[in-house]
Amino acid sequence: MKVLQLTAILIIQLISVLIFCIGFFPSKNVLEGDAVFEISSDAQLNAKPAFNKLVLVVIDALRSDFLFDQDISQFNYIHELSNNGYAWGFTAFSNPPTVTLPRLKGITTGSTPNFLDAILNVAEDDSSSNLKNQDSWPMQFAKHGKKIRFFGDDTWLKLFPHEIFTEYEGTNSFFVSDFEQVDHNVTRHLEKQIKEKNDWDALILHYLGLDHIGHKGGPTSKFMGPKHREMDSIIKNLFETVGQDENTLICVMGDHGMNEVGNHGGSSPGETSAGLVLISKKLKNFEVPSDQKGVKLPIKSVNVAPEEDKQYKFLTQIQQVDIVPTLSALFNIPFPKNNVGVMMPSILELLDPKLFRIKLQENFRQLMIVSNNKDIRQLYESYDFENTEIKDIISEMKDIQGELTSSATNYNVPLLYLGLGLIFILTLTISFWFYFSVLEVDFKNVLIVIISLLIGLSSFASSFVEEEHQIWWWIITGLITVSAINLPDQKIAHLVMFVCVRIIRGWNNSGQKYSYDRTISILLNTEYEDFQWYLNIATILYIMLKDSTDNLISFMFSYNLGSVCILYKVCWTIINQDHVPEPIYKAAIYICRRLSRDYSLQDISVVEENLIPIARFFFYSVLAIVIAIYGSAKLKLIKNPIKDIQKTLTFLLIFQSPSSYIGLFMVYDILQSSLSSLLVNQYSSNVMITSTISLVLQYFTFFQFGGTNSIATADLTNAYNGVSEDYNIYFVGFLMCVSNFAPAIYWAMFPWKVIYNQIKPNNKWNVFAENKLPIVYFNCIAGCFLLLSCFILRYHLFIWSVFSPKLCYYATWNIFMNLIVGWVLEIAVLSMVDK
Amino acid sequence: MPVKKRANVKKSVTFSDDTTLSHHNTKKKNIDHDHPPVFVRKTIRTVPWHIIGLLYYYIYLSDDYDTMRLLYLLIPSQVLYLVFQFNSATIYGNKILKINYTLILISLSATILLTVPTLLMIIVFGAPLVEKLRESWLLALHACYLAYPAVYSLFNCDFKVGIWKIYFIFIVLGGWISCVVIPLDWDREWQAWPIPVIVGSYLGAFVGYSISAFT
Repeated sequence: MKVLQLTAILIIQLISVLIFCIGFFPSKNVLEGDAVFEISSDAQLNAKPAFNKLVLVVIDALRSDFLFDQDISQFNYIHELSNNGYAWGFTAFSNPPTVTLPRLKGITTGSTPNFLDAILNVAEDDSSSNLKNQDSWPMQFAKHGKKIRFFGDDTWLKLFPHEIFTEYEGTNSFFVSDFEQVDHNVTRHLEKQIKEKNDWDALILHYLGLDHIGHKGGPTSKFMGPKHREMDSIIKNLFETVGQDENTLICVMGDHGMNEVGNHGGSSPGETSAGLVLISKKLKNFEVPSDQKGVKLPIKSVNVAPEEDKQYKFLTQIQQVDIVPTLSALFNIPFPKNNVGVMMPSILELLDPKLFRIKLQENFRQLMIVSNNKDIRQLYESYDFENTEIKDIISEMKDIQGELTSSATNYNVPLLYLGLGLIFILTLTISFWFYFSVLEVDFKNVLIVIISLLIGLSSFASSFVEEEHQIWWWIITGLITVSAINLPDQKIAHLVMFVCVRIIRGWNNSGQKYSYDRTISILLNTEYEDFQWYLNIATILYIMLKDSTDNLISFMFSYNLGSVCILYKVCWTIINQDHVPEPIYKAAIYICRRLSRDYSLQDISVVEENLIPIARFFFYSVLAIVIAIYGSAKLKLIKNPIKDIQKTLTFLLIFQSPSSYIGLFMVYDILQSSLSSLLVNQYSSNVMITSTISLVLQYFTFFQFGGTNSIATADLTNAYNGVSEDYNIYFVGFLMCVSNFAPAIYWAMFPWKVIYNQIKPNNKWNVFAENKLPIVYFNCIAGCFLLLSCFILRYHLFIWSVFSPKLCYYATWNIFMNLIVGWVLEIAVLSMVDK
Repeated sequence: MPVKKRANVKKSVTFSDDTTLSHHNTKKKNIDHDHPPVFVRKTIRTVPWHIIGLLYYYIYLSDDYDTMRLLYLLIPSQVLYLVFQFNSATIYGNKILKINYTLILISLSATILLTVPTLLMIIVFGAPLVEKLRESWLLALHACYLAYPAVYSLFNCDFKVGIWKIYFIFIVLGGWISCVVIPLDWDREWQAWPIPVIVGSYLGAFVGYSISAFT
């Protein structure tokens, strides 16, 4: 019956977290409808726009220094244009979350992103992120009868109704390691659009290749230089053809930047500093923006600070959303309704002199309406737009903008209170229950309370949230030391455990502040590529053969899975054009040729043809084997079904892990063996200790697998295994969770062997409940503190960059690791054991 | 080999009213002569005040947290502490052992050897493997010389690890707890490796030498 009570507690806990999240991430109030000119509308309607042709080139993840910094930038043509006065450069601050979908919303509607957009970026075909009913400059363009052509990242096509584009083609980032084709698919349209069908008013291009290079090899990858030159030649081509007309504006921009390792999503200076260049023949006639005066591009970096202190601030700094009113003013269309951008002061001189004060007032009015604030309304109504200095109006508007962007969300406070209250009451209840149900108060029972309080209290400090892996590391070293002191004659076992956890720690970077470039996984990907593959094969063989040689059925299962798994990993690497040792490469090609019975194709294409079928075969095999194990367990054909299930799932986890992390599973296994023998022999399989250790290791390995509390490290590369282009979003989401939580799932399965091994069927649900009690308790206490810290710090500077992602991760841990893996899966496995 | 020497040791006269000493005297008959009891007297004399002084020097007086100079100060003061305070509180059998100057030198060099396993331990506890090896080794030296009186006594008392273990544990514990401040984003110079851990292990040693006898 304990199980039912615990389940009830789990469900109430999940509900309270969900209530809190709904209050914390409310869907933003969006002003509906399209904007029209409000102030002197006739004058505005009849005014001549400053430009009548727009080419918008979005280069994904184009950080400011890629455009301007002498050390890294290869955009030589843009530098030349700028030095001749044809181009104005800017550093555009892109509001976090710095992922493509929210940034595109910012660039088109001018609004600051809703935090949930970052999550929805993954669930791309979710309709709630659609901009059909939201005012934006592309919609305004279409409404004013302008023809828009679009080629590039298909996120645009998900955002906008296709009717607004007179011609379009989407590309997608299906293979992150595709640097060439994805951009070629955009560029190949250019020739025709420039020469034959030059009747458009706006041409939008969105290139993904640079972002892919960043994800794969970081900002200093050897592919970066050629990519810069490729992009630069496209700009050159555009400027020398359509750009020769004075009334054409070419706008080159990044939607966001990237951090030192090439990821993005967070709020570090590198990620938020996107580059922006306005190019036109007309600009030559006007004065350059004051920050660019006398500056010769590329700028020699005077910054001698270490990499992580770089600020990426070049030339004039603006907010990225400022591009929206700027474009609207230049093309003389109304400012989109939800825009919080402020026109760039430097472009005012390009406007009709009669018009720019009207445009300013219009912009001011629109900010006032978005702010929905009495004081600002009063200020607006009493403002003297005719005579105040332009500079003062702009700075006034910048102040309003600052307020608007910092308070992008209105919290639903009653819901926050409800969620908080619920989890507090629940925690108190479970604490009493814990106290009375656990009879003796000794170290092994108090341990989980100490850990929960530590983690709970740490959620008030932003550095500890960012560097949470350090706390887990601290806890784990402490635990092993205590155990080593407690059992002085088990020196070898403790030494093995210590070395294992140290290797796990050294395998990967974690945390959001520092990154070392000599971690084991980086070394395996660079200097020791051959060794990586021998290690991977050794790991898979080791897991395949261990403990399954005594039973033919188990051996068949694991042999099948292991070989398909390694084949897929090799194929995936070949497709991504990474290094695979020659014999392994040849063997994989040979197998693929045999599979497709086609000997004429090229190596790469034969592998490509087989990639999805192999992955699907693997998934179906896992499913079939799980069912087979279940059946054989019922028929008593295999002795130890739990072990076989565990092994099958381990192969699934390896399958969903990056290839340079596969070796980690060998370390996990060694650690696991030495831990379980210690727990069984020295701690008499104590459920409390086992469960606590499992919890600590789940978090510890999650972080050392490259996970952090930032959205930037959510890894998507393995989420599309075996799915073709028309994918099912739930399946992709599931695969993404499995690949990001792979080590945590591994360690969540670890107690099974220890505590369910010699279990009596009539007692199994009690043991299950005892196993789950610490974890539920941990989540209650940690959740209590976390929700409280999010509530108290909801106006804190870091709330969107540090605490909200942490809250998202906490909710994901609860739903995926607790509910799905911890309860549904474990109950299913346990129900196999009977009699 | 030090077994022979024991016979020559004079019984020292003490005016101490320490109860443990007399307590053990009464149980004289039960003493196993091959494994005589070893313990440290419960006295305030073992409190290592010099560690507080060194810490004060390290934190407030030395420029830029001069870890090297701190070590030069630590070694002699630990020897003095051993000779004048710690050794005279150590009871072996029911005697206070006379200070053995050769052994002082031997254990001084043995302590240096001990830094190698300590360094490995520090790395296992999470110090970087390649970078900052010098700093880690300095930390190992500090930790080892903090444990020096215990090392000496360990040699002097027939390697009975049992009672000396706690001194080592306190030093490790102090260092372990002090790691907490490293990830904080206060951007202070003292957050650099290994300064917090050195301070922590000093505090751990201070607590350890002061109260271990009472545990």
